[in-house]
Amino acid sequence: MIKVSGLYKAINGQDILQDINLEVEDGEILVILGQSGAGKSVLLQHLMGLRKPDKGNVVISGVDITNLSERDLLRVRKNIGYLFQEGALYDFMDVYENLAFPLEEHTDLNEGQISQRIKNVLQTVGLEGVEGKYPVELSGGMRKRVALARAVILNSKILFCDEPTSGLDPIRSRDISDLIRNLSKQLQCTTVVTSHDVANSFRIADRLALIHEGRLIAVGIQGEIASSKDPFVRQFFKN
Amino acid sequence: MKHLIEYIFGFIIGLGNALFFLGEVLAHIVRGHVRIKEVLKQIYEQGIQSIVIIALTSFATGMVLALQGYLMLERFGAKEYVAHLVALSLVRELSPVFGALIFSGKAGAKMAAELGSMSVNDQVLATRTMGVDPVEFLIVPRMVAAFFVLPILVVLSEVLGIAGGYIVGISEANIPGSFYLNRTLAAVGYVDFFSGFIKTFFFAILIGWVCCYQGFKTRGGSLGVGRFTTRAVAFSYILIVLSNALLTKIILTLWG
Ligand SMILES: Nc1ncnc2c1ncn2[C@@H]1O[C@H](COP(=O)(O)OP(=O)(O)O)[C@@H](O)[C@H]1O
Ligand SMILES: [Mg+2]
Repeated sequence: MIKVSGLYKAINGQDILQDINLEVEDGEILVILGQSGAGKSVLLQHLMGLRKPDKGNVVISGVDITNLSERDLLRVRKNIGYLFQEGALYDFMDVYENLAFPLEEHTDLNEGQISQRIKNVLQTVGLEGVEGKYPVELSGGMRKRVALARAVILNSKILFCDEPTSGLDPIRSRDISDLIRNLSKQLQCTTVVTSHDVANSFRIADRLALIHEGRLIAVGIQGEIASSKDPFVRQFFKN
Repeated sequence: MKHLIEYIFGFIIGLGNALFFLGEVLAHIVRGHVRIKEVLKQIYEQGIQSIVIIALTSFATGMVLALQGYLMLERFGAKEYVAHLVALSLVRELSPVFGALIFSGKAGAKMAAELGSMSVNDQVLATRTMGVDPVEFLIVPRMVAAFFVLPILVVLSEVLGIAGGYIVGISEANIPGSFYLNRTLAAVGYVDFFSGFIKTFFFAILIGWVCCYQGFKTRGGSLGVGRFTTRAVAFSYILIVLSNALLTKIILTLWG
């Protein structure tokens, strides 16, 4: 379970996150919706200790990560997969090396096992025969799939995805959304996804949260959120 | 006045951060967190990057030194001293300083630009999400590699510079080849060689530090990469030239 309580963050004197309270159950998929600049990425970065909050704390599987040292955090993060908005694959490595990297760092698998694991995970995300390609040679959609493969390759039980559909056309957006949902359920991951894409969020989510100007203004299952009385929430879901 | 205080304050904070960064790098090295495979890759890349331009520059510089030196020395009837002039100028000052300047313009710029684009594309952050320390994985290998590559390049530069002088010496000044070589070997003493060579290690640390630090803290998209890379090279140049003056003074005082 992931639990965020009373989280505040200001960057350069500007309030970015204010009084964030949030719980994500084991195995649940939560989508955090919000407009660009609402604070989604910054919130996600707090969830894995990439940033320190000014106030409040983040508890992951019973461990309060708020005050851990970077060294301890590195250990915690091994068990969390993170899909970056632009993929953030190493551009000096080909696909195979990118996927092998976490395995070489954190497992004792031999070369044969690593290559087998990479083949399997690429199959899971619907890619084949791209092992020798460099990230620049892949389309945006393929890059995201490879990045997703990298995020789950260690069988992490927690998966964070930052705007998985941004920059993709409608069909690829749907495909990657379905892929994330299926993968997450298959691997029984506790998953947090950020998005500004309402339609696909409904496809992915068990539960949704709406963030606006650094505050969570609605949290609930689809029906609850869609029938909210709050004018901003209604406005957001209208378009 | 207020601006000046702010400026000085900002400078001190910046220097503090840069020193903290260097401390982090050294801590990894001391603890033996050095990835040999990455270091070898960086040695290869940095070496390949700079070797041709350093070789050409050194060879040409050696020739020019010999041409000018021969004309001047001949007036005093001491043209055979041209071998001295070439070898000592190169070994004591020119090769270490020019080598370092060229190295920072090629390998240093490469380090800053690569790390900068990795910073703005979230690859540095991604390294942390995968449970790996980016300083250990991305910075330490580059700095360790520079520490070995620059001194090697400088020695190569000295040899090629002397070769350039040799060619001018035997063809233009009609100095017999074996005589020229003997003169060169006699001219360059232990102190001469090492007073220049020691400096290359300082320069290597300086270039690695400045360029990696600027790359690592790059923000602001592709514009930022350009800005921080140029700044990295400019800082390296200034620091090389200034520290060279200081180091030369120290070495000459201690060693003669
Ligand atoms: N490193 C930073 N420095 C300054 N401001 C930042 C930084 N990161 C994010 N912000 C600001 O925080 C706010 C939220 O950003 P972000 O979480 O990236 O939004 P999004 O919801 O689009 O992901 C924005 O106003 C952004 O300008
Ligand atoms: Mg974002």
